[in-house]
Amino acid sequence: MIAQEAQYRDWMLDALMGDSAAYRMLLSGLTRHLRSYYARRLDPAAAEDAVQETLIAIHTRRASYDPALPFTAWVYGIARYKLIDEYRRHKRRATVPLDEAAELFGRDEAEETIARRDVTKLLEKLPPAKRQLVKDIKLDGVSVAEAAKRTGMSQSSVKVTVHRALKSLAEDLRDGEDRNADR
Amino acid sequence: MRTDDLIADLSDRLEPVRYGALTRMLVLAVVVGVIGSTVLMLSALGLRHDFARAIVSFGMWTKLIYTFAIAALGFWLVQRAGRPGADMARPARILLLPVLVMALLALAQLTTPGADMRDLVLGHSSRVCALLVILTALPTLAATFWALKRMAPTRLTLAGVGAGLFAGAAGAFVYSFHCTEGSAPFIGIWYSLGIALTAAVGGFLGRNLLRW
Repeated sequence: MIAQEAQYRDWMLDALMGDSAAYRMLLSGLTRHLRSYYARRLDPAAAEDAVQETLIAIHTRRASYDPALPFTAWVYGIARYKLIDEYRRHKRRATVPLDEAAELFGRDEAEETIARRDVTKLLEKLPPAKRQLVKDIKLDGVSVAEAAKRTGMSQSSVKVTVHRALKSLAEDLRDGEDRNADR
Repeated sequence: MRTDDLIADLSDRLEPVRYGALTRMLVLAVVVGVIGSTVLMLSALGLRHDFARAIVSFGMWTKLIYTFAIAALGFWLVQRAGRPGADMARPARILLLPVLVMALLALAQLTTPGADMRDLVLGHSSRVCALLVILTALPTLAATFWALKRMAPTRLTLAGVGAGLFAGAAGAFVYSFHCTEGSAPFIGIWYSLGIALTAAVGGFLGRNLLRW
């Protein structure tokens, strides 16, 4: 379930009854999602055109929304159609996922989750004591003085340990990328 | 135009939409289409000569129920094809049901002792049946396309196949008032072929004609 579903659907139902304030909020909200959706897939000028075309399509085809169905899936269907339209105009063939309203809504959250998962996985390569230090200082914002007190190390050796740990992780990452590139 | 201005403009021009307005338009178009198919059938082919007697026959009702069931599911498909994000898998799956029932009925008739297999399968009009079903379906197909284009189809080939399936089945329903065949194997093969070919035509045309 998309987080914004309930709010957007309410606005849409009001808009269908002629509430232009709700409609304005709905279109403004959708514009943000549409901008980032098209920006990742089209060049900047085409992206803004696609946003506007989609807004116009939402407007002219608003009767095709069935209140019994999810609103975000309806918007995604239109956004995807306009994207394919744009690709077709430039003779580009592309596959666009069918039932992924999350492509349009809440993608940022998904990316954040993935990034967080990657960092956690990466940190696991460190020995436990170092991992704790890096996590405390770089992720959770604990001060160097505080970390030194907790571990009984001097402040300068805390700094050095964290620095070396990050360096070794960076090397690990580079090696990994090289391996991928070789394949 | 700036996007903010566009939003302001669209919301200023907002008019309420009556609930079910789109479905009413689709139903209206379909009714006009089926009337067109009926007029075409009556003028080009004519009602079967023994209509009064045939209307109470098992064969006639086999045709009517089979084609009506597929047309109803086809209409459901069209209704969904015109709404972005609506799932079309369920009506498509249920479509197997009438086809399966028809296959079983055909099998039963073919395996009846003393059955004339050749006559049951080929009848006397097997060479023209599918083609005449497609022709009868054309007015309905045109009307369904007209309505579907005013909805918001986002998967055009699939939407065209749905429209073709509906129009093919409606055309076959109308055609069955001309055709004197009544055996289940004949209907299961040749009527189904006519409907399937109309669906294929719909899918082929939909790709371009349904763009909006």
